[in-house]
Amino acid sequence: MDIKRSYYEDIELFKSNTILVWSILFLVFLGILPWLVKAYHLLGMSIYILNLITINALVAIGLNILVGYTGQISMGHAGFFAIGAFTTVIFIVNWSFPLYIALPIAGFISSAFGFILGLPALRLKGPYLAIATLGFGMSITTIIKHMEFFGGRMGLQAPKLYLFGTPMKDIHYYYVIMIIAVLMVIGALKLIKTRVGRAFIAIRDSDIAAEAMGVNLTYYKTLSFAVSAFYTGIAGGLYALILGFINPEGFTMIMSIAFLAMVVVGGLGSIMGSIAGAALLTYLDIKLQVVQDIPAIGPALVAFSQKYMSMAGISNIAVIVYGLIMILIVLFEPLGIFGFWIRTKRYWKTWPF
Amino acid sequence: MLGQLIVSGLAVGACYSLLALAMVIIYKTSDVLNFAQGEMAMISTYVAFTLMESHHVPFQWAVILTFLFAILLGASFEFVFLRQAKEPTVLGLIIITLGFEMILMGFAGWKWGPDQRSLDFPVSNIETYNLFGLVMSKINFWTIVISLVLMFILFLFFRYTKVGVAMRATQQNQLAARVMGIRTKWILSFTWAISSMVGAVAGMLIAALGVLDPTMMMDPLLKSFASAVLGGMTSLPGTAVGGAMLGIIENLFGGYVSLAFKSVVAFAVIVLMLCIKPSGLLAKHYVKKV
Amino acid sequence: MLKKAFVSMALLMMVTFLMTTPGLAQKVRGVTDTEVLIGQTGPQTGPAALWGAVARGTGLYFKGINDEGGIHGRKVKYFLRDDGYQPAKTRAIATEFVEQMGIFGVVGCVGVGPGMAVRDYYTENKVLMVSFGCSGVTNWINPFNRYIFATYPLYVDEARGLTRYLFEQMKLTKVAVFYQNDDYGKQGLEGVEHYEKEKGLKLVASVSAEVTERDLSSHALKLKSSGAEAVVMWAMPTHAALLLAECAKIGYKPQWATSSTLSDSPVMMQITKGLWTGMILSYPIEPPDSNNPLMVKYRAWHQKYEPNERWGTFYYSGCVYAEPFVEGLKRAGRNLTPETFIKAMETLKDWRGGIGGPFTFTSTDHQGAKYVRYAQVQPDSTVKILTDWVRITK
Repeated sequence: MDIKRSYYEDIELFKSNTILVWSILFLVFLGILPWLVKAYHLLGMSIYILNLITINALVAIGLNILVGYTGQISMGHAGFFAIGAFTTVIFIVNWSFPLYIALPIAGFISSAFGFILGLPALRLKGPYLAIATLGFGMSITTIIKHMEFFGGRMGLQAPKLYLFGTPMKDIHYYYVIMIIAVLMVIGALKLIKTRVGRAFIAIRDSDIAAEAMGVNLTYYKTLSFAVSAFYTGIAGGLYALILGFINPEGFTMIMSIAFLAMVVVGGLGSIMGSIAGAALLTYLDIKLQVVQDIPAIGPALVAFSQKYMSMAGISNIAVIVYGLIMILIVLFEPLGIFGFWIRTKRYWKTWPF
Repeated sequence: MLGQLIVSGLAVGACYSLLALAMVIIYKTSDVLNFAQGEMAMISTYVAFTLMESHHVPFQWAVILTFLFAILLGASFEFVFLRQAKEPTVLGLIIITLGFEMILMGFAGWKWGPDQRSLDFPVSNIETYNLFGLVMSKINFWTIVISLVLMFILFLFFRYTKVGVAMRATQQNQLAARVMGIRTKWILSFTWAISSMVGAVAGMLIAALGVLDPTMMMDPLLKSFASAVLGGMTSLPGTAVGGAMLGIIENLFGGYVSLAFKSVVAFAVIVLMLCIKPSGLLAKHYVKKV
Repeated sequence: MLKKAFVSMALLMMVTFLMTTPGLAQKVRGVTDTEVLIGQTGPQTGPAALWGAVARGTGLYFKGINDEGGIHGRKVKYFLRDDGYQPAKTRAIATEFVEQMGIFGVVGCVGVGPGMAVRDYYTENKVLMVSFGCSGVTNWINPFNRYIFATYPLYVDEARGLTRYLFEQMKLTKVAVFYQNDDYGKQGLEGVEHYEKEKGLKLVASVSAEVTERDLSSHALKLKSSGAEAVVMWAMPTHAALLLAECAKIGYKPQWATSSTLSDSPVMMQITKGLWTGMILSYPIEPPDSNNPLMVKYRAWHQKYEPNERWGTFYYSGCVYAEPFVEGLKRAGRNLTPETFIKAMETLKDWRGGIGGPFTFTSTDHQGAKYVRYAQVQPDSTVKILTDWVRITK
């Protein structure tokens, strides 16, 4: 079953009926998830957090195409995220475009910037590229801040959208975002299996060898940046909508780092891993903040803080735990959550051997 | 005003180049881009602060103890985290240092709280030396001197001592170096220790120039990255050149073109620089052989 | 087989739908017979963690109020959450507050950026926002929103008033502005510009710095070359310290004046190594060593509940932001709903029952704080109040 006899078998999305059924079940599950969350608040979730996770997953997928599949580094994806967010809001508010046009436009403008950033990336490797992209991310927000057109330092109020006359709330956004996300995930899965995706992977493994085999480095490297920026731009637009307000201060270097961490924690070169990484880190980022209230450990931590540390900074434990998770996953599971998944799968397949 | 801008630029450039120096030492030996550099320096500075403030240790002893702490911090980070990485990739190593950065920042916030502090430094940041109508605060002057001296010592160390040569060998080919009888692991720990100590010097000087708080190294760290890239990531004298150039360009840009975009100009400069000469000003261009 | 799966899924969905429409009892969210639930977000981590002290101060105040027996037999149940000054997180906490904890209102949350991201959400859910933002940015109160009660003087007015004070009392006409490049700093600039325009003066220089910047030497040179006699500073403590040092270095000594956000003089004095002396401040609350009976009481609470906290201006200003809220609860009486609370708050006229300035709320204006006092920092880092309460809003 695992042997692929032709190319079409490889690019097929549902390789067997089992996978098809499970995929449909999963889609149905996604459909009813908001109701479950609303009724039971599983793990303290809310629909808004689901939306945020989905958006972050889109960014992580985009970034993974660049980092995991093409082997380039970007520490400036918050910049693309900001471009997507601001473009969407401006197109809807200033020029009253509908969302379904504004969002793709935001994606394409963002990918145009990705293309531009891709040009110097042709000559840069490793740390040099990391620093150049870092600079890009920082510069974008500074430039946005100084242009009154983008709301300047005050930020922009995102428009209130209406769906059949009723103002859209978290739950409506959930379905909009989820439909977009499902389409984009399928797009990413397909892209990786095509000529383009294979060219990306060839560049990652060895760009010189890839060039020798006839992969046009200039074209594919910039394309990878553009695709990655497209995903991030779309996600940025959605982010502006669910948040209702964006200001340039919201798109920091920390955000770029968080995106990168999602990709690495999820697993480099795995779309599903990116989704898992985004879900895990977003959730932790939001929920890790009330260490005092954790049963058993909480009071001990409070006592420890009072004695040796400061009570004022007790929330910083969350930051420490977050950093520790990043390190431990890279150390002990270099393929991230995806690697963990593969090992579990293999373990069950070969059980009891 | 031109002269004063250049002098101020040199002064701030010296801070950048000190941190860049710490970064280059590590990059030279182990190809790791250390994002935790700033926070390691910040923690060391806090240690110095606590020693002087709470335990009333005299300045000289506090500095020596801080150096010991910094050496321990750097070596143990290498030993506890980096060494454990199986088949590390460039990105994986960056993520580890980023994670360590968060741990340190969280720890500083937890231990010392978010309040701004001031580090008691024997050299004043307000009293000045005057020359031809140009002023430079005493601490700025000493920062420049210290950064040049440190750079020179390290340059000699890398070039002429046995350990320095071993460090270079480790960078070029770890396996071959080990075959030659170099204890590469020990060398790596040693590198991190030295780098952390240089970082602590930078941290204390930067804190003495302004204030001490858990986020104080964010901006200097990015600027020092920029100066390291400008000078060439593998060149020690390059850090001094890169730092000074960056400081002066920034200040001239702020003084004559636009203060608003001053914080962006560093990145524009490095992107331009990298497009023209990807390896930086003073480093040799190194092409990977297949 | 596929068909079967679909049918069973459809059934499952129906069941879930049915389960998820529980009949909600008609009562006020966040108010029970014995408790009223209050939420607060404030950055305890990250670059803005300094302002997190405000949030902890509010916690102290509620502890004290509860120990005195609460309000109309209800104790305040208070949740403090750390949003790290990230709007996306603030919004996540807001949904938690409303959908899971069911709070009555939020008090004294820090930050306008985070605030703007949750304003609409809270308004939709009828959550009261008292002293939200802890900040005087005009965007926050415009357009008028019934659920928002602002208790911080507007930065624009504050800067205008400060410039007026410099002009009228100290006869300084050549004024420059140093501001940090965000909403807060820009409002300071606007205020100074307003006043200069009114008097037909010209602003000598306006110099801005990015929040993250750590080298202000060229900024200082620019200020010096403008020849301003006074500089109004709308910045964060770090920038203030860096700028004062740079200016002292190049021998530039104008009269400095700054906003209430830099009112923590002991800290400022320490990090500027004494250069803070002589600073003119607009001061919307009592100084830390004040003998006001309420201040004495709060200091006692501080000693009793949180002796490890530093008694700084930010910390106890957390009390100032909660005072009008508690007064509103008192006036609303036993029958507490958002409507009765708003009505009760709107009866506050020049209310001086706290350690802040007089608060007034009307049915068309919920910007309560309109008064400040002016103070000057003394060499021993105490502040000397120079004036009585001055109305700064036109």
